[in-house]
Amino acid sequence: MQDHDLELRNVTYRLFVELGRAPTVDEAAEAAGVTRAEVEEGWRRLHDEHALVLEPQAAQIRMANPFSAVPTPHRVRAAGRSWYGNCAWDAFGICAALHVDGRIETSCPDCGEPLAVEVRDERPDDTSLLFHCLVPAAQWWDDIVFT
Amino acid sequence: MNLFRSEEHIARWLAGRSPGATIPVTTLCDLARAWWSDRLAPGWQPHTRDQNQAILDGVGLTGAFWQLP
Repeated sequence: MQDHDLELRNVTYRLFVELGRAPTVDEAAEAAGVTRAEVEEGWRRLHDEHALVLEPQAAQIRMANPFSAVPTPHRVRAAGRSWYGNCAWDAFGICAALHVDGRIETSCPDCGEPLAVEVRDERPDDTSLLFHCLVPAAQWWDDIVFT
Repeated sequence: MNLFRSEEHIARWLAGRSPGATIPVTTLCDLARAWWSDRLAPGWQPHTRDQNQAILDGVGLTGAFWQLP
């Protein structure tokens, strides 16, 4: 990964954390001190390298893993703000990436029952829950949105 | 990739589909910490495939299901 793409990627992530949502092209361009076209081209290269995920045929972020740019059933409240994780793994990943305690709010896909997990000192308060991963690791990036 | 209350809920949700892998939430938490904790570090570099495989192996996620391409 080239240095300027790494810098754009770091700016994009910083903005995602600060804003609680994905930055727009304009916001990233201003923060990185580059043009809109340079952001769009850089984001495309980062997408191709699986460093973030763009919406199909649009210069718009869908995922800056573990953060989701769209609402999901996996909400994380931490440090006085909230974000969405792309999945349950990513929800825990948001607390890990921020290095903070947090509260994960999701629901059982079977019965719809709300599930809430407090993460304190990197440990879940409810250790009885189970995590199911449907797609084998070899296929995770075949369709990352489905995964 | 979801959290469930129990194995019974997973089986009902699968509705006849082939199951993937089920792990305790404590293992998920360990995995998340190892996989994501450097994501916002100023000096972040992309993980290699072997680094990620070592993370999976390190939390006990071994076997064909957890083999990265």
